[in-house]
Amino acid sequence: QKKITGKVTEDGTSQPVFGASIQVKGTTRGAITDEKGQFSLSVNPGDKLLVSSMEFESQEVTVGAENTIHIVLKKSTAGLNEVVIIGYGTVKKKDLTGSIATLKGGDIKTEGASNVSRALQGKLAGVTVEAAGGDPGAGMRILVRGVGTFNNANPLYLVDGVQVNNINNIAPGDIESMDVLKDASAAAIYGSRAANGVVLVTTKSGKNGPPVIQFNANFGSQKLIKKYDVLNAQEWATVSNMAHDNAGLARLDIAANPNQLGAGTDWQDAIYRTAMMQQYNLSVSGGTEHTRYSFSGQYNDQDGIVDVTGYKRYGIREKTETTKGRLKVGQSLILTRENWTKMPGGWGGQGGNPVGSAVKMIPVFNIYDENAIGGYSGASGPVVNVANPVAQLHLEDITTNVTSIIANAFAELTILPELKYKFNLGYTDAFISHKDYTRRYEVGGLFANPTNNLAQASNRYNLVMAENTLNYAKDFGKHSFQALAGYAYQKYVRDSSASAKNDLADGISELDNGAIISAVSGNKLVSTLVSLLGRVIYSYDNRYLLTASFRRDGSSRFAPAYRYGNFPSIAAGWNISNEKFWSLSPASVSMLKLRGSYGILGNQEFDDYGYAAVINSNINYVNGNQSKWFGAIQTTYASPYLKWENTETVDVGIDAAFLHDKLTLTADYFRKNTTDLLLKVPIPGSAGSAADPFVNGGNILNKGVEMGIGYNDKVGAVSYSVRGTFSSIKNKVLALGTGTQQIAGGQPTHHGADATLTQAGGEIAAFYLIKSLGIFQSQEEIDAYKGKDGQLIQPSAKPGDIKFFDANGDGTISNADRLDMGSSFPSFEYGLGINLNAYNFDLNLFLQGTQGNKIYNGLRQDLEGMNLEYNYARTTLNAWTPTNTNTDMPRAVIDDPNFNARTSSRFLENGSYFRFKTLQLGYTVPTRLLERAKISSLRAYLSADNLFTITKYKGFNPDIGRSGSILDRGVDFGHVSYPLARTLSVGIQLSL
Amino acid sequence: CSRDTLDLTNPNQITTETFWKTESDVKSALAGTYGLFKNVNGGLWGVRGVELSNGRGDDFFIRNDVAALYQLSTFTNTPDNGVSEGVYNVCYRAIFRANQILENVSKVGLEADKEKAYIAEAKFLRGLNYFILVTNFGDVAIRTKVPVVTDDYFVAKSPEKDVWAQVIKDFTEAAADLPVTNYGRATKGAALGMLGKAYVYTKDYVNAATILQSLTMAPFNYSLTANYEDNFKEDTENNSESLFEIQLSDVGGTNPWAGENANETLGVTTAQEFAPGEVAGWFEVSPTDKLFNEFQKEKTTTNELDPRMYATLIWDYPGATFYNKPFTAFKLQFGFKSMFKKYQNYTQNNELKGSKGGDYTSSINERVLRYADIELLLAEALTMQGRTGDAYSYLQDVRSRAKLGLLANGLGQDAMMAEIRHQRMIEFAREGQRFYDLKRWGLLQQEITNSDKVGKQYFVNGKHDYFPIPQSEITTNAKMEQNERWK
Repeated sequence: QKKITGKVTEDGTSQPVFGASIQVKGTTRGAITDEKGQFSLSVNPGDKLLVSSMEFESQEVTVGAENTIHIVLKKSTAGLNEVVIIGYGTVKKKDLTGSIATLKGGDIKTEGASNVSRALQGKLAGVTVEAAGGDPGAGMRILVRGVGTFNNANPLYLVDGVQVNNINNIAPGDIESMDVLKDASAAAIYGSRAANGVVLVTTKSGKNGPPVIQFNANFGSQKLIKKYDVLNAQEWATVSNMAHDNAGLARLDIAANPNQLGAGTDWQDAIYRTAMMQQYNLSVSGGTEHTRYSFSGQYNDQDGIVDVTGYKRYGIREKTETTKGRLKVGQSLILTRENWTKMPGGWGGQGGNPVGSAVKMIPVFNIYDENAIGGYSGASGPVVNVANPVAQLHLEDITTNVTSIIANAFAELTILPELKYKFNLGYTDAFISHKDYTRRYEVGGLFANPTNNLAQASNRYNLVMAENTLNYAKDFGKHSFQALAGYAYQKYVRDSSASAKNDLADGISELDNGAIISAVSGNKLVSTLVSLLGRVIYSYDNRYLLTASFRRDGSSRFAPAYRYGNFPSIAAGWNISNEKFWSLSPASVSMLKLRGSYGILGNQEFDDYGYAAVINSNINYVNGNQSKWFGAIQTTYASPYLKWENTETVDVGIDAAFLHDKLTLTADYFRKNTTDLLLKVPIPGSAGSAADPFVNGGNILNKGVEMGIGYNDKVGAVSYSVRGTFSSIKNKVLALGTGTQQIAGGQPTHHGADATLTQAGGEIAAFYLIKSLGIFQSQEEIDAYKGKDGQLIQPSAKPGDIKFFDANGDGTISNADRLDMGSSFPSFEYGLGINLNAYNFDLNLFLQGTQGNKIYNGLRQDLEGMNLEYNYARTTLNAWTPTNTNTDMPRAVIDDPNFNARTSSRFLENGSYFRFKTLQLGYTVPTRLLERAKISSLRAYLSADNLFTITKYKGFNPDIGRSGSILDRGVDFGHVSYPLARTLSVGIQLSL
Repeated sequence: CSRDTLDLTNPNQITTETFWKTESDVKSALAGTYGLFKNVNGGLWGVRGVELSNGRGDDFFIRNDVAALYQLSTFTNTPDNGVSEGVYNVCYRAIFRANQILENVSKVGLEADKEKAYIAEAKFLRGLNYFILVTNFGDVAIRTKVPVVTDDYFVAKSPEKDVWAQVIKDFTEAAADLPVTNYGRATKGAALGMLGKAYVYTKDYVNAATILQSLTMAPFNYSLTANYEDNFKEDTENNSESLFEIQLSDVGGTNPWAGENANETLGVTTAQEFAPGEVAGWFEVSPTDKLFNEFQKEKTTTNELDPRMYATLIWDYPGATFYNKPFTAFKLQFGFKSMFKKYQNYTQNNELKGSKGGDYTSSINERVLRYADIELLLAEALTMQGRTGDAYSYLQDVRSRAKLGLLANGLGQDAMMAEIRHQRMIEFAREGQRFYDLKRWGLLQQEITNSDKVGKQYFVNGKHDYFPIPQSEITTNAKMEQNERWK
């Protein structure tokens, strides 16, 4: 043996390559280059050195007689040598057979986005990211390749290998990469939990070298983009009087003299504000030959555009990895604290939350009344009970605090150079405490709360996972072989309790002070999962690629006989461009790979303990002496025969690069067939169950194509890149329950009939609506609209009322006349990102949108109803009258005998949109100006988020993304909305 | 990890395996069955149920705030009406629970008499739910067993007469073993009263008279309260006139819409829904002027308006106050002359809160069966047999409490029935009887047509006598067929 020294440099630039790994092939001996690209190592002549580094192509060098050695590495082409994180390991992108979408940390620019998922919108093909509203700190709904289940359709999230419920508390600046596993081959190793896709988040690791300190700061301001156009006091009174006159009812006293009312209160102005936000992130990272580390801290403070609301997040994160001899140990820890101040969900009236109430509140009423208990005025008299939104915001304090721990530790032992054993331990804990304090009040005549009340709830989500894996990797000549076997266990516990008391002294908001207990509850849910997993990846001569994996899961949620599910997958790839017959020059087609995969994934997202019939307690009654009589009985049926929901996925894909890798393309076609759908299929009401039992009752097919295209080039001093994504997914319900069963959803208004229906042969949550045919202009038209037996189809109609289509021809208008009117899922969605760099300036644009989806505008249904006493949309000024007949707005009439305001196609709108989502202009200060200040880099930027949206949708924003039931998706419901804001921000990114 | 890793026991709730061990389990199961009568969405004496049972009468108006209510009250309802579906489903929930008690009570090992009494109580509850189903829906499925396998979910309907037979069987068997007193719960008197009512509804007047007559003598000592209004107030609940009532009190949670859990109020929000907007009510309903006028047809012996009119309605009369406000503080919204006062908490300042803070909670028990009903049903059963003379005393008892004079002697069957019909209309206004009375008298068409009821022109005789089988039942139950008139 002798000691050699060496240097690794980059081809072309001769820059030293720092952090490259030099390994003596077939041994565990190795070294890593320092900042100057240098290393030293003990070798025997004839040893082969394997030199590798991220972003470079690997090289093999044979040691000769020399004592110094110079190795030149070539930059790898177009990221195809990038390493992609797959389950329980990594694979080079060129060897990949599955469909995985990857986003690097650098692509997640701050953008003023406060959470990671928001930054993902439109950037990954096949991954739909929908806003759950503009509520600061609100999560997003992420759907990977459509909706294949009626239950929890969220993907499986793993942060540094640990399963978490969501990733909203991860600072965007802490992310190294995000990989979304989309097809069965990629996700199958996660078996039972992977049917909705898998999102792998890898946080930043340190790199070998001196410490790097980075500091990012962002300050922004947010504003409401669009108000609902509703009437002022005088206009409202005019429409209200018209509606009462048409109904033959006395006018309201408060509307008696429209001309004296003026504008009245603008309730929307009263609740919206320009809201500030700030974010900071400080990180330190670095490493030596043996240990790498990364620490960071984050702080995020965002006010909501609705007064009072806000979100704060604090977090620290650390990650280290140490190698000594055969042993590698590592750990990561993320601690976060999130504090929300939320707006009330509503006070039981028909206005809903403050956003809904602000549009429905009659402008005649006042905001304040200093003589009232609580200090607020509000609706009174014979009007609909819509609560003063300002009073709601200020009289009820709702806070939610979440403390989260995500911890991960692993030890990896290299048994043989090819064989590694890894033990991985993951732990997450989320402590959620919720406090809701309502002051005593009398708000107008319709809302009163005689005592100060407090409700508190706490939830804890705890997950422990342990994984043992053996990994074997060896190359034999042209054969490359990698195998994985493992055993995994996880236990998930959810504990919750809630208590509420009434009659607290003024100014005190702790439970001890309450006089009356109004509610106490608590429960615990536990589930366990044990799994065996295995995978083989084989490639021959970089031409033929094969991946096969298998996972067997056992879940406590199923009855003993149905506990285990088997989830196999197989995938193959062919690098055509590596074939000898390939004659196209890299100048035209530089790479071409075909991929195909097939596999089965599972889903067990339904209630714990569902297989045993339970006795429900606390279904109480009153006994003869008027005290509480505790009740308990079985109220629902159990589901003892449930088995796993299975999703069979076929994927065909192509990866290609053209023009010396300037242009890259990835495209996939997939088919996801979900069978034995875990579903609450309605059973007959006469069976007497209080809720429908889960059954394996359906079959959904999702088909789609998705595409990602990138182009990079340089023209003079300007370098630019363009990146586009496109996906089109269609779902179809092939079977549901016993065949004729339907699942209704999407209630659009407080009392309105459901807008969506899911049934065999249709789409999930398709809009089924009675069709509006316009306005009856005359009594003759009404009299001429007859059923087959000569009866009037709409006998209660008067001129100016809506004509509805009697689709089933039974001579009457009912829900049996509903027709399939469209889908809440877009025909396609797209994203387009453009980055330009010139001199020291950089410009980033991001555009995204959807096409072909419909939205049911529930709030408009209320506001254009003119049948009840709350405020109306401005469009109602154009209501039909005998002298104003050229209009599509029916006549105003209280009590609405013709049901003009019923759930119908009148309120279904085109939901397509195109959004200029992000515009960012940055300037990087030239290094020479920074040297004296010992600053490595400094960038400052201006950013605008949600700059403008082109859409025909009349509501607040077209990406309504209701986060509840998937069956409500696409229905804009005023009770729960929170409009999106436009954000302008400035920021700096500093590196020492 | 061993195999046991996946064997977890539900830590929150006991299962059917561990229940049915003690008498208190049986009692809890009964509470869970009784409680459905006040269910907000479908209990016949919960909010929607009261609106449903009254809404179709010629004495009742419901506005178009909740479309499903307006539709049923104006005879424009369709099989997907959520309110009639709610009542249908809740009855079957109660039947499912009553059947569980009947099948499991023997597992507890109670003394024979106790066990029989619990079985009788469960049969009363089941019978009352079938009574609600048959009077509202006609032909319905009869279920007397708890489903075991999935196929058991699907049951075809039985003819109306078979459902009545089930009702009569349940009430007969219940009456045999129920105790005479069982404060706030089902009693022998309640079962006999409902049995008698079922016989009147099925026009078996001989049996009806026998059964109803038995309630006028020992061991029973029912009597009319001196003050009519005591039947609609909270502090005079479970009084001498009461055979069965739904127990309501603000002793539960605070939320009427919480569902069946600890947060659910144990009162109802009906009073709040019926109250005028001026006192935080939602003014959903109004009496018609036909009812207003019917009360004024006969004055008392001192030439005053019937005291039942003052207890039932509020209108613009000298000194009229409502919720501690003069009547002038209110505005009649719908062009009718009066509002409902019966069952309203009008001695409070408004209907916002219950005594324990429950939202809009009213604690006034809903009376299901009063002795006045027994007397008038008995008078009817006798009259219909031609025994008009025997009917007098029962009818006069009801009249006398209302301070009406002695009824002329020697009235024929028609005149006697006319008086009974008049008395029933005003005695039981807002108590969910009118529509069903008219139906069994065959007078729906006539009385709806001659009223000022909104939507009367859409009433189709025969069809609107019943609600359609809910569309959801038709869609989910392949064995179920729609009511002929609703096809």
